Amino acid sequence: MLDSPLIPDKKTGIFAGVYLEIKKVLATFFSSPRLTVALLVLTATTVLVGAWCPQESQVGQEKVIEQFGPDTAMFLIKFGIADIFHTPWFLFLIAMLTINIIAGSLKYVFPKLRLWRKPLPWLGSKQITKLPFTTRVLLDQNADPEHCKQVLTHKLKQFHYQISWHNNQLAAEYGKLGRLAPSITHIGLLTLLAGVTITSWTGFSGFKPVAVGDSLQFSDSQHSKLWIGKLPKWSCHVNASRRENYPTGEAKQWYSNLTVLDSSGKKIKTEDISVNNPLSYDGVDIYQSSWGLGQVVLNFNDNKRVLDLQPMGRLYAAFLPLGGNSTLIFSIKDEQSPLRIFAKRPDWPTPKLIGTVRKGNTIKLGSVTLNYNNVIPITGLQYKCDPGLAITFTAFGFIISGVILAAIPHRQLWAELTVEDSSSVVINIGGHTRKAKIALTKQINDLVAILESKQPDTIGAATLALSDPMPLESQSLQINEAARV
Amino acid sequence: MSELQTALTNTAGISSVASFWVFVIANAFKRNKQTILTAAKIIMLVGFISLTAAIIERGIEAQRFPLANLYESLLWFAWATLGAYLFFARKHDIQHLGWLSSLTATVMFLYGSWLPTNQQQITPLVPALVSYWRQIHVPPLIVSYAMFFLAGLAGLIELWFAGRLKTVVAAIITILLAATAIALGTYTSIETGWLQALFVGGSLLGMIVSWQMMPSVVERMVNQKNIQLYDDISYRCITIGFPLLTIGIITGGLWANHAWGTYWSWDPKESMALVTWLSYVAYIHLRVHRELAGEKLALIAIAGLLLTLLTYLGFNSLGFGGLHSYGRFK
Repeated sequence: MLDSPLIPDKKTGIFAGVYLEIKKVLATFFSSPRLTVALLVLTATTVLVGAWCPQESQVGQEKVIEQFGPDTAMFLIKFGIADIFHTPWFLFLIAMLTINIIAGSLKYVFPKLRLWRKPLPWLGSKQITKLPFTTRVLLDQNADPEHCKQVLTHKLKQFHYQISWHNNQLAAEYGKLGRLAPSITHIGLLTLLAGVTITSWTGFSGFKPVAVGDSLQFSDSQHSKLWIGKLPKWSCHVNASRRENYPTGEAKQWYSNLTVLDSSGKKIKTEDISVNNPLSYDGVDIYQSSWGLGQVVLNFNDNKRVLDLQPMGRLYAAFLPLGGNSTLIFSIKDEQSPLRIFAKRPDWPTPKLIGTVRKGNTIKLGSVTLNYNNVIPITGLQYKCDPGLAITFTAFGFIISGVILAAIPHRQLWAELTVEDSSSVVINIGGHTRKAKIALTKQINDLVAILESKQPDTIGAATLALSDPMPLESQSLQINEAARV
Repeated sequence: MSELQTALTNTAGISSVASFWVFVIANAFKRNKQTILTAAKIIMLVGFISLTAAIIERGIEAQRFPLANLYESLLWFAWATLGAYLFFARKHDIQHLGWLSSLTATVMFLYGSWLPTNQQQITPLVPALVSYWRQIHVPPLIVSYAMFFLAGLAGLIELWFAGRLKTVVAAIITILLAATAIALGTYTSIETGWLQALFVGGSLLGMIVSWQMMPSVVERMVNQKNIQLYDDISYRCITIGFPLLTIGIITGGLWANHAWGTYWSWDPKESMALVTWLSYVAYIHLRVHRELAGEKLALIAIAGLLLTLLTYLGFNSLGFGGLHSYGRFK
């Protein structure tokens, strides 16, 4: 009985061990840079396929059928290629990338933040020779170590390095800010994920063509399946809408005058919107997305008739079927242009123009007096509520800052001066960088050249009195590329 | 288009052609090579200055920021290519990239000059483009494309100096196939499905063949110094291009949100820009974490060049639809 308490402990120990081992294997797997690259390649390939194949969610199934023919289109639709961004495969990739970013950030990226404030370590000659870029300078007995230190300090300051000396050991760093780039970029990516998640769970969006005089409601908004948001009760009335043209007749801008009405119909605010200039109210943004002529109002012998207009290239047309397979076609270019009336009969090869009438005027068509009363514009309104937007924009800021910092080349450089045979001075110089390797090579070569130089005037008048170092030999710069595969 | 603008653009085009030939001729001389190379760079500089003036003049004439259609973007691309080369050539002896940069700029000038005249003329903007976001969103993208193009070309030279002759030949054929698909898509009425197959199929096959050819090395061609130099230049181009592409994509999202209420809508060109971005993220991870050999990274940079070509010119000329079809003219 006395031993019994040990048994569960043993079990716990085994389970804990297995648990820790699984945790370690999973953490290693999910944070692996290899997994990152594999996921990036798979995601890029999937997005490429999505870019190539028209997506049902954007252009409709008809467009897919039109582009590929019914058989191929059915194959693309059946296997989800025509809606690839909503397939379980794509969602799996995004989920895996998310886990990989979190695990990779925690394991590799964020721990490096601690190094940012830590000073560079002091490296001895042996360690310096193992650096990716390394060289050795041997100066003769007249060489003064203090003079060499001054030369190195002066030259590295010219290269904008931060320099520290510890006895005869030098540690120098350039572009330290660049080291923050991965951390800031990854913080941005994680923040972006948070913003997008909030938007997906609480936001909504939609598009509706609204005729002048009608109102925009939000009841048929689109949102994700997992949604905890709330649709607004207020509506948006379209008071007027117009198109502004260039002198050539091309559309320059579309405008709509909107009034926000509360649930009881009380006016809250009135504003003009245009493309790139939305209306914002109660967290909802309403955008001018498209524009057209929606309806034409006509009077036939004082009987009012409203006909729907259809876009026909640069024109709009309404069709009024008559008896005997004949049709009246009303064609209009814009709100100011006259209404052109065509008649179409099966035995005529093309419709015949039978009259033109300006807005407010009448025209006699046989026994019928036609009055062109009005044309009603229709405004395409896009709307969205995006509660995660502030977080998303913050994320954009982090990502942009991170990638800009990534362009700064970060270089580390070490040197150690040793006096050999109690007379000659040996200087081991080495460095490390991932970017601008040629620049680091050049800088190290410059350091060697100036150390070997017989004319140290380049280091300034104050050092001219110091003894000239006489070079004996120097190793040419060695680049240790063994680590590369 | 005013006469001044035509003259400036023509000067830039002729300078690109001339600098290309002077760079090429310089290789035939041993004694005066450096002098001839300096002359080539001066001619290129003249072209760059003329092109800068041409773009400014176009902006003044159009009374808007001069980057609104395919023709204007080609001018910007050539400008960025020449400018980036001149920037790097200040401190590095990169003559081989010189003739390739001149050739790239020349091809862009020719491509632009063969476009229908309505593309070259200054035309009014469609409502969606009437926004200050246009000058924030588009220039970083075009400059990033030019940087990725230069990175790919530097990768090609790196492979040459690494003695990967067969890989270089396969990669050049791949790039030419892709360029042919774009040219046919622009100037002919060939079914776009065939052209898409030519571009994508040719690129995939070409990259696989290039990769397979990597073990074949012509030892006498190996030049370690130039391998290091062009590896460095290629990576530096990417470290400049990648932030610009990121800025371009994000500002595009901000503009779309401002104009249409959504910052991402899986539009084909948006998706393709994301593909390019993801590819360069993979490149950077491979470089930083895996310490992949320079030659393999060079080939990935060439694959990036093809993706850039598809994103920039392929989507309009190979018949992909979407919201970014302002450059289309058919």
